Amino acid sequence: MSMSKAYPLPIDISPTTVANTASLVRIVAFLFISGAAIASRLFAVINFESIIHEFDPWFNYRATRVLASEGFYEFWNWFDPTAWYPLGRVVGGTIYPGLMATSGVIYNVLHSLHLPVDIRNICVLLAPCFSALTAWATYMFTKEMKDESAGLLAAAFIGIVPGYISRSVAGSYDNEAIAIFLLMFTFFLWIKAMKQGSALYGTLTGLFYFYMVAAWGGYAFITNMIPLHALALTLMGRFTNRLYVGYSSWYAIGTLASMQVPFVGFQPVRTSEHMGALGVFGLLQIVAFVELVRVHVSSKQFQQLLFVSVIVVGILGTLVIVGLTYKGWIAPWTGRFYSLWDTGYAKKYIPIIASVSEHQPTAWPSFFMDLHFLIFLFPAGVVLCFKELRDEHVFVVIYALVASYFAGVMVRLMLTLTPIVCVSAAVALSSVLDTYIDPVVPDATDGDADAAKKDRSTTPASSASVVELLTDIVTSGSSPSKRTKHARQGIIGLDTRGVVILNALGMLLFFVVHCTWVTSTAYSSPSVVLASHMPDGLHIIDDFREAYYWLRQNTPKDAVVMSWWDYGYQIAGMADRPTLVDNNTWNNTHIATVGKAMSSPEEVAYPILRKHDVDYVLVIFGGLLGYSGDDINKFLWMVRIAQGVWPDEIQEPRYFTPQGDYRVDDQASSTMKNSLMYKMSYYRFPELFGGGQAQDRVRGQVIPNPGPTLDYLDEAFTSENWIVRIYQVKKEDPLGRDLKGANAFDKGKKRKRTRPPVRRRSLA
Amino acid sequence: MLPSLGAIFFSLFGLFAAVPVQARSSTGNSVLVVLQPDLKRDNFTIFFDNLEKRGYDLTLRTPEDDALPIIRDDNPTYSHIILFAPDIKSFSQDVTPQSLVTVLNAGTNLIVALSPTQSPVFTLASEFSLILPPPSTPLISHFPARDSPPSVIPVAVPPKHPLLTPNTPPVWYSGIPFAHGNNPLLVPILHAPAESFASDTDSDAGAEALFDAAERGGEGLWAGSAMGIVTGFQTRDNSARVTWVGGIELFTDAYAHKSLPSGEKSGNEQFARDVAAWTFQENLVLRIDSITHHLLNETVPREHYTINENIVFEAHISRYDSERGWSPYSGLHDLQLEFTMLDPHIRTALLPVTSKLGLYQAAFRIPDRHGVFKFVLDYRRRGWTILKATTTVPVVPPRHDGYPRFLSAAWPYYAGAISTSLGFFVFAALWLAGDDKERKKGKATKTE
Repeated sequence: MSMSKAYPLPIDISPTTVANTASLVRIVAFLFISGAAIASRLFAVINFESIIHEFDPWFNYRATRVLASEGFYEFWNWFDPTAWYPLGRVVGGTIYPGLMATSGVIYNVLHSLHLPVDIRNICVLLAPCFSALTAWATYMFTKEMKDESAGLLAAAFIGIVPGYISRSVAGSYDNEAIAIFLLMFTFFLWIKAMKQGSALYGTLTGLFYFYMVAAWGGYAFITNMIPLHALALTLMGRFTNRLYVGYSSWYAIGTLASMQVPFVGFQPVRTSEHMGALGVFGLLQIVAFVELVRVHVSSKQFQQLLFVSVIVVGILGTLVIVGLTYKGWIAPWTGRFYSLWDTGYAKKYIPIIASVSEHQPTAWPSFFMDLHFLIFLFPAGVVLCFKELRDEHVFVVIYALVASYFAGVMVRLMLTLTPIVCVSAAVALSSVLDTYIDPVVPDATDGDADAAKKDRSTTPASSASVVELLTDIVTSGSSPSKRTKHARQGIIGLDTRGVVILNALGMLLFFVVHCTWVTSTAYSSPSVVLASHMPDGLHIIDDFREAYYWLRQNTPKDAVVMSWWDYGYQIAGMADRPTLVDNNTWNNTHIATVGKAMSSPEEVAYPILRKHDVDYVLVIFGGLLGYSGDDINKFLWMVRIAQGVWPDEIQEPRYFTPQGDYRVDDQASSTMKNSLMYKMSYYRFPELFGGGQAQDRVRGQVIPNPGPTLDYLDEAFTSENWIVRIYQVKKEDPLGRDLKGANAFDKGKKRKRTRPPVRRRSLA
Repeated sequence: MLPSLGAIFFSLFGLFAAVPVQARSSTGNSVLVVLQPDLKRDNFTIFFDNLEKRGYDLTLRTPEDDALPIIRDDNPTYSHIILFAPDIKSFSQDVTPQSLVTVLNAGTNLIVALSPTQSPVFTLASEFSLILPPPSTPLISHFPARDSPPSVIPVAVPPKHPLLTPNTPPVWYSGIPFAHGNNPLLVPILHAPAESFASDTDSDAGAEALFDAAERGGEGLWAGSAMGIVTGFQTRDNSARVTWVGGIELFTDAYAHKSLPSGEKSGNEQFARDVAAWTFQENLVLRIDSITHHLLNETVPREHYTINENIVFEAHISRYDSERGWSPYSGLHDLQLEFTMLDPHIRTALLPVTSKLGLYQAAFRIPDRHGVFKFVLDYRRRGWTILKATTTVPVVPPRHDGYPRFLSAAWPYYAGAISTSLGFFVFAALWLAGDDKERKKGKATKTE
């Protein structure tokens, strides 16, 4: 019996040819996907230059340079005396070295091949290159979920989706650059290990888990996802020896390996975040033992035994964990963890975490911005997985649920959601395409199919769907049972197919356009160099580097620079000067000290500055240009963090007007006007406007004229657009006066007459 | 002629012998004397001749004359300035309180004379934490009984003062007293007699009225031995010296010749010479030649040290002698060294080493704390140059291979690891050696 087809297919091709062609097409498609993934991340290099972006990457870059020039052991033992002056930072023990090690290996390999590539270019281009690998890992992962065609779709999605590009453009040299690849590949290996019960794959999972631990603090996501999956499977009654072998080999090897990273150390056995994995490990041992007992014991006895043992073990296990936590052997949950469940927690108790913009809850539009139509297909994909619900689909469902929640809590965790969205959306879209491209027409109404026959040009499917089509023919041709199933339900007519497929293609097209647009406009700014569009073209605003190079060339090598912690890594990287605090926010008190200095009046701040040997103070001021990410807008966080340590001296309400407004104009509170930050920001600002109104373009307020005066600091440098202002801290007066008095004397002001100090009561 | 000869001498033999011939001061020999027009050099011949005898080049000018500015191209033109113009209201452009502070910060030493007249110098004095009485209120004392007016007072010189010749006879004084503010940089040299006071009248009848006025009028009580009449001052950074004298007559020939009520010769000449010698950095001048640090039993400084290491800090200190110039000096027994990170972690005595002149050493163990530490040597004694030297050194935790390799306390863990490894090998061997039948059994036990 011949199947009715919606459109003619070549019939004289051997299945081998089809399979080979499909394989070739897949390889070609994959090359294109890699090309697109890399190319779309190069906007930043083309628009600006090959430069390290933002804040953290500057530290990673600096560390990588140390690694490349000094070797691994020097890097391992690197103590950075210029960071957190004067506390210093034990870099080797406080970083995830995976990223630097990766770059170092690439650098050494290239140099041993006599390719003298600059370490900076390796750092800049590492993220785009790894994004191609991510696409491949996602392909492998999705292939396990559905098939190759869904895999290719997922690879294409992850290659260009803005949610991932946002952290992996060229120059964004951060841990996430390699971590997403490792995340997906570890998950792929885990699925393999779990499916096949292979100790080899389990070991590989453990090794890649180790790489992930060495690369990114987000490894805790894997640490909890895999146990969660194993636990869910066990509870669903799907415990198998395959699961046991896969999990045990991953956990044993992965945990031991992860403890070799100095920053992690004994955390896997000492902190609550890692207890889940340990607990599931123990549970699997018990379940495996119970399974063994069941083979040997009769059913009724087994039931009772099981009942009693489960209760006993459960109670014992809980008691042990509670006891250990109580005794302090296991660290309780950290504040960062609580803030994941209670979004207001950080703001109340740990302002330093809440002050980071990445840690804010995600706004709804950013889901669309970062994922476009994938976010609509995502639930469909999850539902499809749920319908089939093989062991690996359970993983996708759990991953989708957990990641969705976290992505809603923190903007930053959008990154972990993105891969699963791509996978699910690919599964959904590929199911749609499978259904609508399948040429087989249902039996009952096959007459219509012939009528609606059209030429094949109406289905100019993407490379993915062509492959899929061909494989589909092969598989449907080879299995008769599948054919009958197909024949019973399916799509009739080419018009229906055309509408849906065109629609899907249209969405894909829009997706590509959207991704390109978002990438080029929103995510490709280095934020070290700014661009502004004026009527006469693009203007590059290079104030940051101007100021950092000024510091580098005009100050002594050991001049300590104080700034808010956001700029610490940049100062260290570009100006090469010691800083008080930086983006590695490990010491809240030290940051609060800087906050206190910034929010206190000059005479209170001065002793703090002198005690910490501060030579220069650097502030970011956007009032002239309208750059809103400046220090006055961050100022309240400095006040809050300082208040957390010195509640008697710094109080947030004092920085507001009596009406409760945060103002910088003539209505600003006197505490605000006397604060060092306000003075440094607006020092000599009104002079810039001659007699006119000194308009702050960020706040839209008028700064009173005359502006603030400074007695304890000297203006040393102000960049072209006033974004960076650097002040030099004056030395103590040589005559032992306070600097206010010394300044008044220099200006020729008369000192008020004083009386001799009273030493004794006069005789009556 | 002398300088060129000295230069040749110096270049030929490379010896320090040229120094004492030149000047007694450690900072230079050019002195500018700003003399107000109604005073003549002849009034101060003893004082000025003494200075010239000791090798100083005196240049005289009047306050209004700006042909010889004290500051040229932002550089001070003289090593020392004597400002004998207490009554002048208007100086030339280059002599202002501000410019005097500028040259002082550049290392110029000053001797400034005051008088009861209000003048720009008054303004300057208050910058040095001196609290001056209202204008036209000279110091008055009716004791001891003498034939001179009550405003011309014999003041006893402290017998043991670091910068004065011991047992100098009392000096004649006429001028104003001043109170000392709360400033550690002040070096009081001569205090007013206990029974003296500042007053605008010298009649005894008004004493009560003066007292009442002082209490009520808020001007304070300018009386007693708390008042200074000759006070030195050392700047914080470069230890330039200033001496404030409440009355210019102290330096005159007339007072130097005037005999005391007891009949003996007054100490004015000796006192003026001592004050000038101190102010012009002839004595009590120290300097730190070098500071260094190294590990115990090593000699070369390390770039960084490891916690708990034993280190040695060394300082070489020289003292200036007006006769012999700079020479290593081991006479300081109260030097302290601090090893600081935000707060001093270690404060220890920096003691002279007997074997080597001028060398001071302190050995200590670095605390168990990593960070950027600072060696702080800070020595302040009244009259002596302020010695201050800091140097930073990072203190790092041990390297990865700097920890002990095997701990006896860890034997339970070693034993556990070894037994597990051995057990695994035995298990694997048995597993592989077993035949098919046993393998089935083994498979069942595998889940254990």
